[in-house]
Amino acid sequence: MEVFINLLVNGVSTGLLIFLLAAGLTLIFGLMSVLNFAHGGLFVWGAFSGAWIFKETNSFLLAIVGAVGIGMALGWVLERFLIRPVYGNHVRQLLITLGGMLVLSESIKIFWGPNPIRVNLPGWLEGSYQFDGIIIIKYRVFVIVVGLLLYMALWLLLSRTQIGLMIRAGVMDKEMVQALGINVKGLFTFVFLLGAALAALGGALLAPYSGVVFAEMGMQYAILAFIVVIIGGMGSLQGSALASLIVGVAGAFMAYYIPDLSLALNMLLLAIVLLVKPTGLMGEKGSAV
Amino acid sequence: MRGLFHKVPLYWGLAILLFMMLFPFVNDSRSMLILLTQIFIFAIFAMSFDILLGYTGIVSFGHCMFFGIGAYSTAIIFNHLEATLFNFIIGLVIGIILSALVSYIIGLLSLRLKSHFYAMLTLAVSQLFLVLAEKWRGLTHGGDGFTFSVPDVFKDRTSFYYITLLSVAVVFLLLKLFTESSTGKVLKAISQNEYRAEALGYKSLHYKLIASVTAGVAASFSGALYAVSLRFINTNVFSIEVTLDALLMTMIGGIGTLAGAIAGAGIIEFLRHYLSELAMTYPIFERWTIILGFLYIVVLLGFPSGLAGFIKRITLNNKMKAKKKGELERTTA
Repeated sequence: MEVFINLLVNGVSTGLLIFLLAAGLTLIFGLMSVLNFAHGGLFVWGAFSGAWIFKETNSFLLAIVGAVGIGMALGWVLERFLIRPVYGNHVRQLLITLGGMLVLSESIKIFWGPNPIRVNLPGWLEGSYQFDGIIIIKYRVFVIVVGLLLYMALWLLLSRTQIGLMIRAGVMDKEMVQALGINVKGLFTFVFLLGAALAALGGALLAPYSGVVFAEMGMQYAILAFIVVIIGGMGSLQGSALASLIVGVAGAFMAYYIPDLSLALNMLLLAIVLLVKPTGLMGEKGSAV
Repeated sequence: MRGLFHKVPLYWGLAILLFMMLFPFVNDSRSMLILLTQIFIFAIFAMSFDILLGYTGIVSFGHCMFFGIGAYSTAIIFNHLEATLFNFIIGLVIGIILSALVSYIIGLLSLRLKSHFYAMLTLAVSQLFLVLAEKWRGLTHGGDGFTFSVPDVFKDRTSFYYITLLSVAVVFLLLKLFTESSTGKVLKAISQNEYRAEALGYKSLHYKLIASVTAGVAASFSGALYAVSLRFINTNVFSIEVTLDALLMTMIGGIGTLAGAIAGAGIIEFLRHYLSELAMTYPIFERWTIILGFLYIVVLLGFPSGLAGFIKRITLNNKMKAKKKGELERTTA
């Protein structure tokens, strides 16, 4: 029982971290069919800048705010100088965002050196809770709470606000929204910045969670996020949330029982989804073909 | 749009080949031979990538896996069996069969979908191979890798130089024939307008699969040569940097031209060689990957058709100018 609950908590918290990355990816894709391979670069920048600010100022809140700010600034540069010029050309978009990813993760090594960096937990989140002999690490609960709150906030933004309405309409039919006089490009910039902020936040939250940050982890988590986005259905926020939880929890259990197969499991899930329902679990519009 | 190199007549290619064949007699510095051998190996790899990107218009972000499969197959065979040419052929064939299988399965899963899926799936599967190579220590010795001995004919730098040079020439000819064949023409059509190709009755999945398998097989061959050239292998052959190399080489050389891929391989390998030499005096160049990354972005934004397209544009402009000048003279006269 103890193992089960621990694994579940692990899986859910990892899943929610992946969700922060996948949410931006899926919205950006849904709105503009841009698959942003540089998203992992923003994530790893969030992780490093968060860890660095935390080390310098010793304030976790400041670290998170700073990481999100840096992530958004980088996201703006990325959108303005890389993605806009090749707007509408899928092959070049794919190619150029990969270039962005390369530059982002290499520049990490210029600023912080090529070696992994250790990150400590903030004092007030150290330790664990105990219920009847079941030990639950505090920070994981914190990540779950933050992740759920963010999911709620995103959901509210999309379903209850004017701009959310425009985003959803844009995902459904971009040309129509444009014809109604809404600035879809401005909307896209907004979504891109939102996605960048979420990715950087995910990175900043992950840094103390895994205890160590390294430049290659951007790619690792980006791949997980891609898998999640495909499984959940490209363009669907709910789908991504569900798929993140599935991947996170399944990964946690596999990592405990059959560690060698944990990545293979994701690939298996991916292969099944691609074979049976290429639009993903919750992808409504036939975006796959 | 076809690059300049397409129109380079056969004798130009032969002249370059002849020059390369005579080169070891002119300059027999060891490091130069090694560098050129490296260029030949990566030229094969870049050409295989160009079959996908340039000729079919599909983006693969996991091309390193075929390179790695080829490299590991050969290395593992040499690690367990004697270092003979026959065993090299065995390793090569195993690598090619494995690559063909993997590329076929990935293609079958994702090529009927949008191009994004192929890009993502190849990236994910290549990472899976990286993890597999790290975890399956009994076979691969993990991240540390292992050394192995190779047949004598591969050990000698000069003879290996000729072997790789010959390989580039043969692969170039084979891929050239492939792209000029009726299948290659359909691939070109698919890259320009897939729906129209489908409407004409060509099953695009079928043709894209052929391209995917061809590229995988050629990449596997270059990987086998790479392993033999180093006489050492570790999990780096599966790293994303290898895929990026192929991307850079084809982008800079000019996509959609096999000769462009070869030129790109030459440019990148020379750049890397000299940048890493510079790094000894100026430490900033230690991170030359970022310089290549910026170069890649600049090329993508500024010169989307690469060196080959750039040369073509210049020659076209000159021709146009000459033509205009002629017309002007005629009208004034």
